Amino acid sequence: MTLEAIDVHHSYGYETVFEGVSLSVTPGEVVAIIGPSGVGKSTLLRLLALFDAPDDGAIVYDDDPVWEVSDQRRLEYRRRIGMVFQDASLFDASVRRNAEYGLRVRQSWRERLRHELGGLVGKENGTGAAVDALETVGLREQAEQDASSLSGGEAQRVAFARALAYDPDVLLLDEPTSDLDPRNTAVLEDAVLEARDRDIGVVIATHDMHQAERIADRVGVLLGDEIIEVGPTERVFEDPVDDRTRKFISGELIY
Amino acid sequence: MSLEQQMLTALVVDFPFEWNYIRSIVRVSLYVSLTAVALSTLLSLPVALLVGFKEFRGKTLLTSIINTGMGFPSVVVGLVVLFAVSNQGPLGSFDLVFTTEAMILSQIVLAAPVITGVSLAAVSSVEQNVRDAAYAMGGTNLDVALVTIKEARYGIATAVLAGFGRAISEVGSVLIVGGNIASSDGTSVTRTITTAIQLEARQGRFETAMILGAILVVLVLLVNAIVVRLGSGGGRYG
Amino acid sequence: MTIQRREFLSVLGGGVAVGLAGCTGADDSDGPEISGETLTLTTTTSTYDTGLLDELNAPFEDRYGVTVDAVAQGTGAALRTARDGDSDVVMVHARSLEDEFMEEGYGVNRRDLMFNDFVIVGESDDPADVEGEDDAAAAFEAIAEAEATFVSRGDESGTHTKELEIWDETGLTVEEFGEWYLDGGGGMGETLNTANLDGGYTLVDRGTFLDMRDEIDLELLVEGPVEGGSEMLMNPYGIVAVNPAVHDNVNYDLAMAYIGYITSLEGQEIIEEYRSNDEQLFFAEALSEDPNFRQYLPEGWERSSDD
Ligand SMILES: Nc1ncnc2c1ncn2[C@@H]1O[C@H](COP(=O)(O)OP(=O)(O)OP(=O)(O)O)[C@@H](O)[C@H]1O
Ligand SMILES: [Mg+2]
Repeated sequence: MTLEAIDVHHSYGYETVFEGVSLSVTPGEVVAIIGPSGVGKSTLLRLLALFDAPDDGAIVYDDDPVWEVSDQRRLEYRRRIGMVFQDASLFDASVRRNAEYGLRVRQSWRERLRHELGGLVGKENGTGAAVDALETVGLREQAEQDASSLSGGEAQRVAFARALAYDPDVLLLDEPTSDLDPRNTAVLEDAVLEARDRDIGVVIATHDMHQAERIADRVGVLLGDEIIEVGPTERVFEDPVDDRTRKFISGELIY
Repeated sequence: MSLEQQMLTALVVDFPFEWNYIRSIVRVSLYVSLTAVALSTLLSLPVALLVGFKEFRGKTLLTSIINTGMGFPSVVVGLVVLFAVSNQGPLGSFDLVFTTEAMILSQIVLAAPVITGVSLAAVSSVEQNVRDAAYAMGGTNLDVALVTIKEARYGIATAVLAGFGRAISEVGSVLIVGGNIASSDGTSVTRTITTAIQLEARQGRFETAMILGAILVVLVLLVNAIVVRLGSGGGRYG
Repeated sequence: MTIQRREFLSVLGGGVAVGLAGCTGADDSDGPEISGETLTLTTTTSTYDTGLLDELNAPFEDRYGVTVDAVAQGTGAALRTARDGDSDVVMVHARSLEDEFMEEGYGVNRRDLMFNDFVIVGESDDPADVEGEDDAAAAFEAIAEAEATFVSRGDESGTHTKELEIWDETGLTVEEFGEWYLDGGGGMGETLNTANLDGGYTLVDRGTFLDMRDEIDLELLVEGPVEGGSEMLMNPYGIVAVNPAVHDNVNYDLAMAYIGYITSLEGQEIIEEYRSNDEQLFFAEALSEDPNFRQYLPEGWERSSDD
């Protein structure tokens, strides 16, 4: 499995965000995207999650350009990708129902209807994978709690479990820890590494250089309307090719 | 005897004879209004989602139709529906004049804009993030719509109840298209609580009118109580 | 053409109805063909509100295994509904409007059904001096002459239609009347109340006047034919089948069965014996001194064959 953005151009109206951006992720690696606020990290992740088609260039899944295949095929590709947003964006339901959501949409309408009706009469048959995913983020005990009653950190961990539960090939994380305290951050970073060990490819957008250093195998630096540098974490941080990278990392370059 | 005593006696004495009549009227009323509201809801939710989240030509027009429709006078709706279902009208061949089906039709016209308008406000307040999450988890557009409806459920329930309140308490259109018919054995054919109240009051049978009025008021109060509860429950979402 | 709901229902109801017809031992051979169907009868509010129709319809429904849907509307609306083919038979008391309905070809087989009468009421001081007058038109003329207050229903009801017919008879033009001619703008009850408050004359059906007599100060000044007064105050009720040649969807067979029943001895006796508050409201045509069994056509009207 490889998910790639190849020479992607994208703009919102007249506002150009990318002019030729390429990035790839393979199983079992964590790729961090760093860059100043507003540079387009979220936009890149949304393109990789197949929300919108890029203006130009291609998003390619295993050599298959996803915007040139049928809707059904593209849905299958989408379903191999998981995503966590900057805010948890949980559904107004129990923690377990949130974690199960991805599994439910993959079921037949019959099964889903039966499940909904079962839920109405209080008969809940939890799916193993959702419970396991909650276990990974340490929230198994809270499964029956209302999602709205969780703390911000717990909610973000549930959002991670929700994306993990259906065992995606790729996880796209958009600044998942930017609002979290160190303890919740640590739990999520451990979960990311556990996902990598399960051969999931992870792309994480982050402001936090240290986080990138801690968990990423490779780092891409997004600046202006392009990725100015991409390479193994250690090399990018220790010995950047582009001078702007060095300035950005050291904090000299303020945007 | 005081007035209350008189009324009480009238109730107790007349009640067994009136009971079948009243029950059949309440049944027709509920059948017509519940069916109309159920069908309106099925019609309204897709429209609310469409207007709430899609850009298309004529959207402004549709929105103003919905807004105008929320306050449409029921007699006017009755006249328009009568014109449509009359033997001379476009739906004439279905022979719907003076039937519960025609009443359902006119109540759909009355309730659907209310349900659409209130639902629109409810679904519009569902955060884009949550919809995005449903899509990102592998949901189809239909799944996203379902999630939106679920998230807006309190608001939509309020909308449905508001529509029901409007349908069950309107008198103009059901009178015109339904004809307020009761069979000769005293059971309702197209007579609803509201049209019966009007008739009974006109004929001076105030006791029966009062019982029906009380039933209607209880029904409407009940609906309002639920709306208020749901309204405050909806604010809990976060 | 799509299957009609009534026809559909009649297929469903057929079996039941045949059973019913068997039970009652009906002598009519056309029973099974119309049983299970629904007859839509439009009539005026005042007729409906007397409760007579329930008494009349129940035996008919039992005998034929059919349903009669009686819809109470204003006179104009009842005729309009029939005109549109949305009812099968119409029962009203507004001769001139019925005539128009017949003349335009919407109705066939009109029959005289029953009658009661109107009376002219007013204040006891009777400024136009109409008390005891046995010609309604003359009484109206006197009122106009004296420019005494007169309250009209003004709503195109049967009563209003009758009032206009009488004015027509006097040769006076209603549109030219002065401020003494008031529009009561509503039901009979409201009009009586207005006449009572303004101290005016009005035309009222005997039943309503007797009902309200205790609450108002108006006196009965000109009698109708029921008490031997002015023939012009006769309030005859007619029943007309909607012409199946104009509206092929109407249930003409059933309408004619209904007209047959309602003008039969059985129907006429129910009408004659019907009492509301111990008061006889209607006088059956067939049981009257001078019964008219024939179809009556608008006066001086010959049906042209080419329309
Ligand atoms: N839906 C949109 N419509 C128009 N412009 C948008 C939209 N989304 C983002 N943009 C613009 O595109 C640019 C990139 O935004 P994006 O959210 O991808 O940045 P980011 O790198 O994720 O920023 P941050 O670190 O603050 O999250 C910004 O200038 C933003 O204003
Ligand atoms: Mg962002």
